[in-house]
Amino acid sequence: MSNTKSKNIILIGNPNTGKSTLFNSLTGLNQKIGNYPGVTVDKKTGKFSINQIKVNVIDLPGIYSLAPNSEDEIIAKKYIDEADDNDLIVIVADVTNLKRNLLLCTQIIDEGKQVILALNMMDLLQKNKQEIDIPKFEKILNCPVIPINARLEKGIDDLKYAISSYKNKKNSFLNNLNSSNAIDETMLRFNKINSIIKDCLTQTGENKSYLLTKKIDNILTHKVYGYLIFLSILFLIFQAIFSWASYPMNLIEMGFLNLGEFISNIIPSGMLNDLVVNGILAGLGGIVIFVPQIALLFAIITILEDTGYMARVSFIMDRILRQFGLNGKSIIPLLSSTACAIPAIMSARTIGNYKERLITIMVSPLVSCSARIPVYTILIALIVPKDSSFGIFNMQGLLIMALYLLGIGAALLAALVMKIIITSKQQSTFTLEMPIYRTPRWKNVGFEIFNKVKIFLFDAGKIIIAISIILWGLSSFAPGEKFEEIESKFATQLIQEQHSKQEINSLIASEKLEVSYAGMIGKTIEPVIAPLGFDWKIGIALVTSFAAREVFVGTMATLYSVGDADNTKSIREKMMMAKNPKTGEKLYTKATTLSLLIFYVFAMQCMATLAVVYRETNSIKWPFIQVVYMGLLAYFSSLLVYNIFS
Amino acid sequence: MTLDQLVENEKAIIKKINDRNLALQLLSMGFILGEEVKVERIAPLKDPILITSGANYISIRKADAKNIDVTKSS
Repeated sequence: MSNTKSKNIILIGNPNTGKSTLFNSLTGLNQKIGNYPGVTVDKKTGKFSINQIKVNVIDLPGIYSLAPNSEDEIIAKKYIDEADDNDLIVIVADVTNLKRNLLLCTQIIDEGKQVILALNMMDLLQKNKQEIDIPKFEKILNCPVIPINARLEKGIDDLKYAISSYKNKKNSFLNNLNSSNAIDETMLRFNKINSIIKDCLTQTGENKSYLLTKKIDNILTHKVYGYLIFLSILFLIFQAIFSWASYPMNLIEMGFLNLGEFISNIIPSGMLNDLVVNGILAGLGGIVIFVPQIALLFAIITILEDTGYMARVSFIMDRILRQFGLNGKSIIPLLSSTACAIPAIMSARTIGNYKERLITIMVSPLVSCSARIPVYTILIALIVPKDSSFGIFNMQGLLIMALYLLGIGAALLAALVMKIIITSKQQSTFTLEMPIYRTPRWKNVGFEIFNKVKIFLFDAGKIIIAISIILWGLSSFAPGEKFEEIESKFATQLIQEQHSKQEINSLIASEKLEVSYAGMIGKTIEPVIAPLGFDWKIGIALVTSFAAREVFVGTMATLYSVGDADNTKSIREKMMMAKNPKTGEKLYTKATTLSLLIFYVFAMQCMATLAVVYRETNSIKWPFIQVVYMGLLAYFSSLLVYNIFS
Repeated sequence: MTLDQLVENEKAIIKKINDRNLALQLLSMGFILGEEVKVERIAPLKDPILITSGANYISIRKADAKNIDVTKSS
């Protein structure tokens, strides 16, 4: 419609001012909100309409001033610079910390931008028994000032109305800008801000918000309890992933087995039946089963960020991580990497020092992500019986924990090497705001889980299903008449006498797979991976896993399903029964399985992560180095492990 | 004296910040020349430290605190 007007607004503010919560209230779209500086890692956009005006909203990372200190702040600064007279900048300020928040506000006013000031957290001001004279404030700043409470969704309509009725005006705060000396200019600003605050804010009452926070900090950053609590939380994460998640996972596994059986009964047997049951369903089941683990992992990490605890972990870990060329802030990416390296690498943007940020990006994928869980789970089950235990601990759980520790250890070691190799003159700092503790916003935690699971199921799922179908095709067809030759070979009387019908069918299937296109690929790389104890079937899985690690399980499911007409066994059972055709012994021996596990701990098998590393480092060099160094690490570690155990 | 020399719970007035980038960063985080700063906590491994000024509460490394000239207030 030509007669509807539209407006752009940009949300700007210090970190932890409730900017993202306001964004949600305004647009109804939900996205990640964190109690950690710079958690808004990417541009968020949304829309709303008021009085026939369409308003486009952009939410930017929190910044303290227009002198940017990190990648996040550079992004926000760029948007402010590019805003023209049609763009309205809504500055979200924490009213309990007006002095600091007004610095950014007045800087933006002096850039000649169109500004509305939204004063958030009005409830805390009342709790502190303070009052603010809004009309006077508006007059001095010469821009609309709207009191809001984003959390309780108060004042949102007033703000929307102010946006819709905003009239452009020329405005300035400091009259003689002295840009030659930014420090003096900032001090001038603060002097003027101080006098405004004296005029408009009652000075009785006190800021109580921090009293409780400091008490909690006495415990959470304590030299003994601080680390103990952090370790307990790490333990809780593992417990959640490997114990609690197993109940829904078993249900999902059962569900898919039943579904497969059901569908293979209703579709007439043949090509289509085979494709649906052994290609698509097998691949799909392989991913859906990991939704509980991923949901739990993201829930815990979101809660830790949202409460403000992550900043404290950064604080107590900074000194340790610094030894490895990292930063206290690296703990967020490293910990998030247990879920997924992609958001982890993006969250490294808050690290101001280029070298520390780069090292964090380079080593984060070594920390075992949720995509490795399926691979670990299925392989460990092959060599360790489910109920075997070591003291009070479950053996399978212990082994998985050991693999995680191995990944973390490798990440730290790799960081140490890079610290020595990469040179940088840039000074390293660790100035990080400690937000007050808050109860997590459960609604946001819920949306976070929903969004992450959605991304996993649809983005990763698309790749997995596509690869499952391609694999099914590659393993169901062969060049020339190879399949027919096999069938006629087995049709001869001699073999018929020696074997039962069932045995013959499975012999046919395995010979067919070997000559199929997939088999040809696996056979081609077999000489390279044979020293690691891998056969050509694992070779196929390694090739397909390069797209994403979790594809391994789907690949195994597809490879071992092809030819299994009954489809009554789980992938694990099929792998357990797999035999080495030459020796006739079990294929997944201890040595081979451990070697494969180690390979998956270290190898860089995720195209999406590489794409993000490319985007974040803006160079092809770093993702390339990452593939090579992690690949070599994987290959030689597996070689070592295989030779020790065989 | 410099900020890194204070012990926990000691207060001082910020006089001068000797590194320009650090000065701009701290100013924008609410640590203003002429105002009071308090060392709230020193990390278990003696570095970094938590400091407050007014409603601002941040962590800073000792190496940076060394660049902040202060005078102790009673």
